[in-house]
Amino acid sequence: MIQKKKKILFVEDDKFLRKVYKEKFERAGFEFLEAITGQEGIHKALIEKPDLILLDLMLPGKNGFEVLIDLKSNPKTKKIPVIILSNLGQESDRKKGLSLGALDYLVKPEISLSEVVNKVKEYFLKLEK
Amino acid sequence: MKEKILIVEDDKFLGEFLLKRLKEEGFEVFLATNGEEGFNLACEKRPELIILDLILPEKNGYEVLEDLKRNPLTSNIPVLILSNLGQKEEVEEALRKGAEDFLIKAYYSLDDITLRVRLHLKKSKK
Amino acid sequence: MKKKKKVFFEATSIAAHQLKNPISIIKNYLEVLSSEEIGKLNEKQKEYLSDIAEILEKMRRIVEYLLEISRIEEGKYKLKKEKFSLEDLTENVIKDFKIWAQATNTEIFFKREKNLPKVFSDPIRIRHVIENFISNAIKYKKPEKKGKIIISIKKRGKFLLFSCKDNGIGIPKKDFKKVFTKFYRSEKATQLDPQGTGLGLFIDKATIEESGGKIGFKKNRGSGMTFYFTLPCSK
Repeated sequence: MIQKKKKILFVEDDKFLRKVYKEKFERAGFEFLEAITGQEGIHKALIEKPDLILLDLMLPGKNGFEVLIDLKSNPKTKKIPVIILSNLGQESDRKKGLSLGALDYLVKPEISLSEVVNKVKEYFLKLEK
Repeated sequence: MKEKILIVEDDKFLGEFLLKRLKEEGFEVFLATNGEEGFNLACEKRPELIILDLILPEKNGYEVLEDLKRNPLTSNIPVLILSNLGQKEEVEEALRKGAEDFLIKAYYSLDDITLRVRLHLKKSKK
Repeated sequence: MKKKKKVFFEATSIAAHQLKNPISIIKNYLEVLSSEEIGKLNEKQKEYLSDIAEILEKMRRIVEYLLEISRIEEGKYKLKKEKFSLEDLTENVIKDFKIWAQATNTEIFFKREKNLPKVFSDPIRIRHVIENFISNAIKYKKPEKKGKIIISIKKRGKFLLFSCKDNGIGIPKKDFKKVFTKFYRSEKATQLDPQGTGLGLFIDKATIEESGGKIGFKKNRGSGMTFYFTLPCSK
């Protein structure tokens, strides 16, 4: 049985992070889409219907939390799981993210790329069961 | 004979919008949604102008631009970058790699884009 | 409080100096790797090394900024002053920004009076001030409107007055007091400035004041802001 590639949407304004995440996720067998602003992320989520969204908090214009609220309040996108990627590990931010409906909250400087990929893989594996 | 324009844009909504508008303006328009497809269509159709986004799935726009400029079949086709990317270094890099112009999506309306397209087509005819 | 501040900036200065060392060592490693003298590299590897070099350069600039701030706070900010033509410098900077301005649908106009005298200050630092003014004008432009930046240089007594007028989104009144402070960044930071450090104007103020001039801004009657500075003419 040929499984269709899972589609990941990465909402991140840092071009180097986008590049290295793209490399890693494509090698891991995922289809990788990018958005550099919150607005673009919401737009792409609506059109592309990704299987999972990786969302940075520090974005120009609309910040990550605002994007999350928009995604979760739109019936067309609210079912898409969102993993937050943050530069800071503030407990208050983590609580806020999870309470707004994020699947998980990862702190970039504390987690390796491979670990992020593994978390995503774990999620899809759990889904199959 | 109608002038040919190739659009390489992964945002289906914007791509279709732009395609429709340029067709109304009297051009023959082709749309590719990824870099590989874009490059192949450029070689096949030999358009008079290419509108290229930088953020594309798989091969990114900068790589497509380099490929287009390296290939003798496509190296003379003017490339107009239309992208969400907008920092000074990103714009300068695209121009260094051979792009003719750079338009940051958020700052250009469809009217503006059409005007620029016409300007570049006129320029390349000389 | 003042003593704590002094200790803080001394510590910042020491830390920043210490960071310079590992940064330069990494640069050396990158140099050896990129030269392929210890082994051939494929295209992608070369690209990744070049990216690392760029990110490292960004780090180096942040460290430089920190050192500047510490020097300013400790009253040790020194400029390398010389006589130079402000309009030639401005012309040069405008040329550099032309392409980026065009990409944002912005046009830059330059008006200057005839026979302007030279000024006495640090041209490299003044260049940064001008770059910052223009950069901000571009970053805070209204997306839906064609951008217009008017730069002018006029003689005002024994000074030259440089002003940069834009038609952008402007700065909210409640933020006026914070504009020249460290780390000020408008909430409306656009996608053109996602990683701005907000340190530019703080250092610019110190540069202009160290040169014997004044720096300031005002909200335009229409839209946008006018930022200006004065510099003493050279004798």
